[in-house]
Amino acid sequence: MASYFQNIRETLGTIFEGLAITASHFVRKPFTLQYPDRIDIPIQDTLPFRYRGLLDVDLEICTGCLACERACPIDCIVIDARKDTQTREMILERFDIDLAKCMFCGLCSEPCPTGSIHHTPEFEGADYSLESLVRRFVKAPVAAYKPTKGPETDPTIGPVLKRGLRYLDEFASPGAS
Amino acid sequence: MTVAIDVALEREGVGGLETEEMTLNMGPQHPSTHGVLRFVVKADGEVMRRAIPDIGYLHRSIEKISEKVGYHGFMPYTDRVDYVSAMQCNQGWAMACEALAGITVPRRGEYCRVIACELGRIASHLISVGATGMDIGAMTPFTHCIREREKINDLLEELCGARLTFNYMRIGGCAWDLPPGFAARALDFINRFEPLIDELNELLSFNKIFVERMANVAVISAEKAIAYNLVGPNLRGSGVRYDVRRDVPYSVYSEFQFDVPIGTGEKGTLGDSWDRYMVRCREMKECCRIVRQAIEGLPAGPVIAKVPRTFKPPRGEVYVRVEGSRGDMGWYVVSDGSAFPYRTHIRTGSYTAMSIVEELSPGLMIADLVAVIASFDIVAPEVDR
Amino acid sequence: MQQFADGLMEPGGPLAGISTPLGYVLVVALFAFLILNFIMLVAGVTSWVERRVWARIQSRIGPNRVGPQGVLQWLADGIKNIMKEDIVPEQADRFLFKAAPYLTMMGFFGAFACIPFADGVIAADLNVGVLYITAVTALVVVGILMAGWSSNNKWALLGGIRSAAQIISYEIPAGLAVITVVLFTGTLSMQGIVEAQGAAPWKWFLFANPFLFVAFFVFFTAALAEGNRTPFDLPEAESELVAGAFTEYSGLRSLLFFLVEWGNLYVIGAVATALFLGGWRVPAVTDNPVLLGVLQFLVFFGKSYFLVFIAMWVRGTLPRVRVDQLMSLCWKYLVPISFVNMLGAMVFFVLFPEGSPVVRFGMVAFGAALLVYFLSRVVFHIRRARPEFHLSPFA
Repeated sequence: MASYFQNIRETLGTIFEGLAITASHFVRKPFTLQYPDRIDIPIQDTLPFRYRGLLDVDLEICTGCLACERACPIDCIVIDARKDTQTREMILERFDIDLAKCMFCGLCSEPCPTGSIHHTPEFEGADYSLESLVRRFVKAPVAAYKPTKGPETDPTIGPVLKRGLRYLDEFASPGAS
Repeated sequence: MTVAIDVALEREGVGGLETEEMTLNMGPQHPSTHGVLRFVVKADGEVMRRAIPDIGYLHRSIEKISEKVGYHGFMPYTDRVDYVSAMQCNQGWAMACEALAGITVPRRGEYCRVIACELGRIASHLISVGATGMDIGAMTPFTHCIREREKINDLLEELCGARLTFNYMRIGGCAWDLPPGFAARALDFINRFEPLIDELNELLSFNKIFVERMANVAVISAEKAIAYNLVGPNLRGSGVRYDVRRDVPYSVYSEFQFDVPIGTGEKGTLGDSWDRYMVRCREMKECCRIVRQAIEGLPAGPVIAKVPRTFKPPRGEVYVRVEGSRGDMGWYVVSDGSAFPYRTHIRTGSYTAMSIVEELSPGLMIADLVAVIASFDIVAPEVDR
Repeated sequence: MQQFADGLMEPGGPLAGISTPLGYVLVVALFAFLILNFIMLVAGVTSWVERRVWARIQSRIGPNRVGPQGVLQWLADGIKNIMKEDIVPEQADRFLFKAAPYLTMMGFFGAFACIPFADGVIAADLNVGVLYITAVTALVVVGILMAGWSSNNKWALLGGIRSAAQIISYEIPAGLAVITVVLFTGTLSMQGIVEAQGAAPWKWFLFANPFLFVAFFVFFTAALAEGNRTPFDLPEAESELVAGAFTEYSGLRSLLFFLVEWGNLYVIGAVATALFLGGWRVPAVTDNPVLLGVLQFLVFFGKSYFLVFIAMWVRGTLPRVRVDQLMSLCWKYLVPISFVNMLGAMVFFVLFPEGSPVVRFGMVAFGAALLVYFLSRVVFHIRRARPEFHLSPFA
């Protein structure tokens, strides 16, 4: 009999407390962000620098070292590079990234010496066909970037390289254990 | 219940009240099976005679993939083993590889791992606790939990650039150091989050209806829990104080003060669904304690050791254990000296938890099965891998 | 209504010269049309309000895109559902499957005949009004059981069976609570019950004596159960039975079930208002009968919608009970409590046939104290969580 009234008391008491908690939510600010249109600034601008969105390649500073292609666990990066026998330059003939396969793991941008291949905060990559998700960065064969000794002087490449190196700086540099 | 009525009627010679056992297919597309699980339920009305779990709908041969992608390349795949708390899976794989090659992780790296893992554990338990509420029919705790999880996701996004598949750790440490201001923001989150655990408890855990639904349902004794190899919160819910972090300390967990909450049986019997649920609620507080200590004691230095890009561990085999959000997670790796593992096996908590469902099911109601699955915190990809 | 019809058919009235039966049919059709539109509107807007209230409880915003603040969301949903294919499962009992939503609709629509919106504004002031409402709302169960059975789906069947057991059981505590009220009014007519109360809160039956106070909560709980609302939404129980009895329904038919759910919510609020919260009673502030009628209607609507709001709020708070607990709650708790309560009310009625001002004052004070304590708990929770404030109901 005691447990009978105990049950009634507990039921009423806990429901009362629960109602008080939910009532206190009527004055709390909703947590929702009204993506995509009713926000003050584009959501991409609020994402952290490390955000791993769609991959992008700055061809100006790509050295053609193929480190990203080797690092990719699912082989979604395909690079064709050949060495020009006369100028002794690396010529990039193809740099394709299949974003349909890409799993945004970030393993490719880690070994890049210049920060050429990097993740952008852009994540809106929906498309109507798989084919259009293959990003072909090389339109016509170009010479790969050759790192200069000392600071970069070319005004078009300078800022790009600066951004690339800043991206690389985010990664932890290994120390002796 | 119905069986008893049948027997009583037959004894009195009334007879004629026949009940028919019906087979229900619960899942793989059922709203409360937490992914694609399937239960073949033999039920007599609402009362189950048997519930047979049918697994394999989410099998992605992750173990086999590891033999093809190499040690570094497998790290993003470990995110998919248990996508609700990917950090511990990252750590398990990293620790296995480090043990194979004899690499020591810098102390700051270990601390970063602990911070990330414990934040991930809170996020995972939030999902579990909220989803339990939702399976019982209360929608509000779920959205409150998701709201808090979102804040953790924001923190982890800042840390490693992703919200779900973190790929934060590398063999030998972590890929990124804590960003500037991260420690302060994490502390701020924890300070605001701790009172919300009490709020959640008052809203859901101690609610009489919820207690009635969870207490005394699917009681697992400590012996049975050990016999069925339950791990993590499911084992601790039965009153066994066993936590890999405390009993087989790995990483730097031995440096932190934390309790291992166990089931108390305060609302019903020891080892019932409510105890398993409550262990997670209490564990979140302990996670907060660990994160706070880790941030306060964060040493300086590098976060990752020098590891060659072509990682070729010496021939050998290793089995490491980490305390995942769903319990003791074992990583067994065999190396043949090449750049690819010879064999990998992952032992997960959800898989063993599935095996006891059939044993528990007779006599439960269909609504109870939902509560039991929720109290085990089964994540389908972890069952199948 | 009969006087209204007679008035129209008097010489010089708009329907003068029409045969009496035809005139009655026309008037009934007019009333039915008005009420049907009213409840469609109420049910639709309620669906939007519920989603918004629920969203705020859950730190969300809720539908806010269709029309100003999303107020037309229900129209968009309705149009979408109407345009969807009406799928009837191959193995279903086609006739019953198709008939079930209409039967459910009838049960709920019929209740509106006896809801007193204002003085004289009632479709039919039956002398057995309360009894009629209790009886006709139980028709809903036939529709739901029919839907569950005819779908030829095991989940739907379980939902239908649950619904039958639930609604039939909870008729009893609801009925006993109504009897407690009838004890004090001596009439079953809805208008009679409303007229027995006053405009001021301390003249409502809710605060008349402790027994009616308890009866209100018993009635409200039982009504929530009859309306398949959380914590008693077992027939639908989306986490257990997929969508319960309505699993196989699509398009307009499924829309009708949802309409009944939200419309029923208003019926619960309206009946509870009429029985316990003073109905449409307002102080005589004006002599203009039209203005007074509008005022009475607004007061009645406001009170009943507040109860609807409470039902939404409860839905946002509580988990769902299990089916055996549902039964034990009814038979072990609500039925004995309402029986004892009714006996206590009888004793009270013998002692104080005219009511006791002291008890009345005590009950009002108790209600106020409860409210103050509740608000203090709300403030406690706000201070503990230290949230960002957002006081506007819109976001």
